[in-house]
Amino acid sequence: MAVNIEMLLGEIEKKWGGKYTKQRDRRFFLEINKDNLQSVVSFLKENGLYHLSTITGVDSGEQFEVLYHLDLQGEIITIRVPISKDNPQLSTITNLIPGAVLYEREVQDILGIKFLGHPDPRRLILPDDWPEGVYPLRKDWKYDRASGIIK
Amino acid sequence: MLEKLVKWARIKSPWILHFNTGACNACDIEVLAVLTPRFDVERVGILLKGSPRHADVLVCSGPVTRQVKNRIVRIYEQMPEPKFVMAIGSCASAGNVFRGCYNVYEGIDKIIPVDIYVPGCPPRPEAIVDGVVKLLNKLKEGS
Amino acid sequence: MKDNLYCIPIGPQHPALKEPINFTVTLDGDIIVDADLRLGYNHRGIEKACEERNFVQCIYLTERICGICSHSHATNFTLAVEELLNLEVPKRAQYIRMLIGELERIHSHYLWLGVAAHEAGFDTLFMYTWRDREIVMDMLEQISGNRVNYGINKIGGVRRDIPKEYIPEFLSGLDKLEERTLEYIKVAGSEETFVVRLKNVGTVPHNEAQNMCLVGPMGRACGLPCDVRKIDPYLSYDEVAFDMIVEQDGDVMAQAKVRLKETIESIKICRYILQNLPDTPLALEKVPRKVPAGEVVARYEAPRGEDIHYVKSNGTTNPERVKVRAPTLANWLGVLYGLRGAQLADIPLSGAGIDPCISCTERIGIYRKRKDSIEYIDWDWLREYGIEWYKKHKKVVR
Repeated sequence: MAVNIEMLLGEIEKKWGGKYTKQRDRRFFLEINKDNLQSVVSFLKENGLYHLSTITGVDSGEQFEVLYHLDLQGEIITIRVPISKDNPQLSTITNLIPGAVLYEREVQDILGIKFLGHPDPRRLILPDDWPEGVYPLRKDWKYDRASGIIK
Repeated sequence: MLEKLVKWARIKSPWILHFNTGACNACDIEVLAVLTPRFDVERVGILLKGSPRHADVLVCSGPVTRQVKNRIVRIYEQMPEPKFVMAIGSCASAGNVFRGCYNVYEGIDKIIPVDIYVPGCPPRPEAIVDGVVKLLNKLKEGS
Repeated sequence: MKDNLYCIPIGPQHPALKEPINFTVTLDGDIIVDADLRLGYNHRGIEKACEERNFVQCIYLTERICGICSHSHATNFTLAVEELLNLEVPKRAQYIRMLIGELERIHSHYLWLGVAAHEAGFDTLFMYTWRDREIVMDMLEQISGNRVNYGINKIGGVRRDIPKEYIPEFLSGLDKLEERTLEYIKVAGSEETFVVRLKNVGTVPHNEAQNMCLVGPMGRACGLPCDVRKIDPYLSYDEVAFDMIVEQDGDVMAQAKVRLKETIESIKICRYILQNLPDTPLALEKVPRKVPAGEVVARYEAPRGEDIHYVKSNGTTNPERVKVRAPTLANWLGVLYGLRGAQLADIPLSGAGIDPCISCTERIGIYRKRKDSIEYIDWDWLREYGIEWYKKHKKVVR
């Protein structure tokens, strides 16, 4: 059952606002507001989406962005959710896509974005003796190689 | 007299413990390949063991990551004397491409003393065998 | 019953998997009731390091994310950068990249077969497969100069060519490999002591596999059609004829079948490439060093599954953000699922079953929790235990 992705994205735009662009064959980018995340992913699931490739966290200077790379019939839809730096949190999607558990934990570790409702928000990849509140992939974090002490 | 016997036994068949401290795995596969028929290091009497308490030589690869640091120190302490450490690959010797990365100590010699360095990314199995032979010579000369 | 539950963590250092990971397994008698994972031993901070290096240096860095799928990561990154630069890579370069990728897949699957055989106590098969793997390593060395970490990619093409003189030798090597693989398919399928270790072990049903977003041979063993070469073709895979192998059982035996049959398909692809190398230059002449701002998602079918890179550039010579999700991270959930309800003796094969590239992800350890204390368990002990257990309890293979 082949679904027309552009039509789906058009419907999403109408129902929940946001904007989509087609970068090239099989690559779409969709920007939405974080409050609509659950509804949009739910809608895509009803229309055949089941594979989440990964979740990327990006520090774009002014704000954070959480990118969900979803695969629908071999085509990748990247949902971009901007998050403000003052309040870096958004809802989890593990209730819809259980495979997201490890990816959300990783973004939490390296960027410090909280995923509300995550069933298991433990540290994933940083070592046990890594200080709390230090997020390596934030742009303002620099590593002092000489001393080797993580601040 | 007994010492000489023990030393002879150790030179004739050193038991090796292999540990990966955060490497990409290429060096480890080459270490395993050294056991396979093409290079076949077992004919020299070298045996790969699973536990630190039986090992003479600790063969280490990988730039040491923070999480692994305590474990490698513990393994080193659990090994009985005399013990030797072999650093396989450029990562274990000096950090390789990971110099400057957070979460990485650049090389095993920042954590434990090293006797033999085998450079390469990854070193060929023949280079690893060469390193082992050099180590055996070092053993012979009396550690 | 709380008193009968033991938690077994499997320690960071053990011979077979070569890469430490922390599995904590809770046992009720001999059956695993729960399984958990601690990653972090192999986290080197590569994504941050990429931001401080220029794009060319990043190719070498991404190549060393994993030693077995090194070409996958390097090529994927290069494809992403070439898309950002809007470059049309010459056909010959694409074919050579595909060839190295398929040879890598062949050697990786052979490696897996050897490791799985070693875990099951079948050391003869381990020695044989690794000896045959040397045929592929020799080919790779002849083309690129190294057995691992080939360094053959550059932005806009490849660095080395395959001269005509090599081709007959390579073709005969491929014939030998095909013959051996068919032999191993027979052996692995019929040697009862081996089959009993794989069949119905670590089973993951189809809908759970979908929910957990499994990839690679593990996903295809559970019925998911997730081969990136078919559903989202990159390089010139749409010009080459091959089949996507999908099985339905979801256990380690199905994974073995998928991998072995894929090896045959890869041999076919290599043969096609060697006989049809297009006659174009190896690389583009001039490639700009500064990459215009943009973002790209690139995918590649590594031997272990879908490898996805997200690269964002900002108009300078260094990337703004590089995100790598290697295939094994996606499959850990499947292993944990498969372990629940299994027994202690099945841990080695379940763990080795997904062909973990832990440097792509992290590492494993096993501990036994006795009431209030935790005791570390040797993987060697666990392996021996598994072999002895199966000798004592002759499981019937249906």
